[in-house]
Amino acid sequence: MKNLRLKSARAALDMSQQQLADAVGVSRQTINAIEKGDYNPTIKLCLAICKALGKTLDELFWEE
Amino acid sequence: MEHSLGYNLGMLMAVLVGALVGVGIVALLFKLKVMDLTFDERQERARGQAYKYGFWTLMTCLLLYGFSDMVLGRWCDVLTGVMLCVAAALIVFGSVCIVKDAYLSLKEKPRTIMTLLTVIALLNLSIGAMNLKNGRVVKDGVLTYGAVNGICGVLMLTILVVYVVNYLLAKREAGE
Repeated sequence: MKNLRLKSARAALDMSQQQLADAVGVSRQTINAIEKGDYNPTIKLCLAICKALGKTLDELFWEE
Repeated sequence: MEHSLGYNLGMLMAVLVGALVGVGIVALLFKLKVMDLTFDERQERARGQAYKYGFWTLMTCLLLYGFSDMVLGRWCDVLTGVMLCVAAALIVFGSVCIVKDAYLSLKEKPRTIMTLLTVIALLNLSIGAMNLKNGRVVKDGVLTYGAVNGICGVLMLTILVVYVVNYLLAKREAGE
């Protein structure tokens, strides 16, 4: 399932996939795969992404 | 062709010294941070899968090679046969890594690696062509060690082609 919340949070900060990838220490393709729902990140990476985007785990990764 | 014990020992020593020097150079490059093979968690996982496919390809090819040698008789030198199997496994490993966007590490630049692959492929293919022209590839109907450069050239070229095709497909997908 696509992670549109991650994509919109990134876009709200005017960050590119590459910029977010550099901030959390992964490749751009990994961020792309998470946004497309092709890859389930570990909790460690989820936390790094949340810190980089200033969001909580619930806001970005919790499915209702 | 039979060689003397001194010749064989000399060859063995040369291979060992060459391998040691190679390992030393690679270790130095890592220490100087010229080479940095850091992959992220998705890439590590994808490379693990690619490694698995490569391993089973190697097993299958070695079995097929051994079986063909038993049934057809000697059709290539043992080391050349093993190199063929290794090349097949590396093609599978490299292709799966490329398709899963896990071939290059976080620090590696695609252009640098592709240039390096092109140079190595051209160099090996040129030596392979020279060996073929000079009749050093097949002797008495047996594929000799002279074919290894050609095999390495084809291996590098295949990985290069897979990379370029994957890059073009990804670019087209991003544009859609």
